[in-house]
Amino acid sequence: MKHLSMTLGFALAVAATFAACAAAATLVIGSTKLSAGNASVSACTTSLSATRNVDNSGNVTQVNVAGIPTACSGETLSVTLVGSGNAALGSGSGTVGSCGASCSVTITSFGGTVSASSVTGYSYGLTGA
Amino acid sequence: MRRFRLTPRRVAVVLAATVGIGAGAAYAATLSVGSWHLWAGSQTLTKGICTLAGTTQSTDTYVTQATPGGTNGSATTMLVRSNSGSQDWSFVSFDLSSCSLPTSGGADTATLTLFITSAPSSSRTISVTPVLSSWSESGLSWTAAQSLSYGSTTTSFTTGTANNVSRSATVTVDVDALIKNPSSRFGWRLNDGGSGNQTTTFASSENGTASRHPQLVINYEK
Repeated sequence: MKHLSMTLGFALAVAATFAACAAAATLVIGSTKLSAGNASVSACTTSLSATRNVDNSGNVTQVNVAGIPTACSGETLSVTLVGSGNAALGSGSGTVGSCGASCSVTITSFGGTVSASSVTGYSYGLTGA
Repeated sequence: MRRFRLTPRRVAVVLAATVGIGAGAAYAATLSVGSWHLWAGSQTLTKGICTLAGTTQSTDTYVTQATPGGTNGSATTMLVRSNSGSQDWSFVSFDLSSCSLPTSGGADTATLTLFITSAPSSSRTISVTPVLSSWSESGLSWTAAQSLSYGSTTTSFTTGTANNVSRSATVTVDVDALIKNPSSRFGWRLNDGGSGNQTTTFASSENGTASRHPQLVINYEK
């Protein structure tokens, strides 16, 4: 009986270890469902730089992000126009299309009119498989 | 009741079953999403103001239809006349090199200011049209001006009828394009396309009073 207890205890420890691994990978994605995932996450670039065009009133008409590595082709680029105090003045996104030596994305819609004078920087997000 | 007897085989079976269940649970919780790319970054812009005026930073002249081969690059004033068949056009251009703006920069706003030394008797609308090909104040004549290329982003301002006043035109889109491509713009043409015979006289960069010189103020980012 002593051996049985030791064996069952060991087995429970092993099972608990696996359960803990599973729990660590658990991700809540809904109110009633659970899912878990393991993904290899890497970046296809280390930096981006944008220029923008304006109309004669000084409002941003488009943001151009060039020099995107070809490894980012097919991914989604989100650009937020940032103002004073890191306020989001507008945002838009585009897909990095197929390209030659490097890729570019032009975004023309930001959810409203944005004065170039108010834009102090850009924030980028690049996601994709 | 039969007494459970622990044997190495039974231990092995129980262990194998337990490991299998645990591994199965872990496997069931594994979602294969493949390899993902994820990157976030930011870019900060530098803002500034650059003011250009005077003969070292600007070039200007006017051309006269009545004397199509003549040049007026050294004149202290520039004329804009509406008279059909005898028009005068003025040209003004600025050298942005002293602003040290990279081609990745841009204009947030840009304002061209001109000083009217002699106003027309009735207020006129002066068209400000970008020039897309190069010219020089010593070589530009009416005839030569007919061969220049002009852009479509025309803006305008009204003169009023008062002498010795400044008038401004917003030229942001042209200056933004000029910053991004320094060989894309060569200043502006000023003309009066209205009817009648009215002349507006502006101070040129050769004018003896510096505050009257054509001026370009650029609020930029880089």
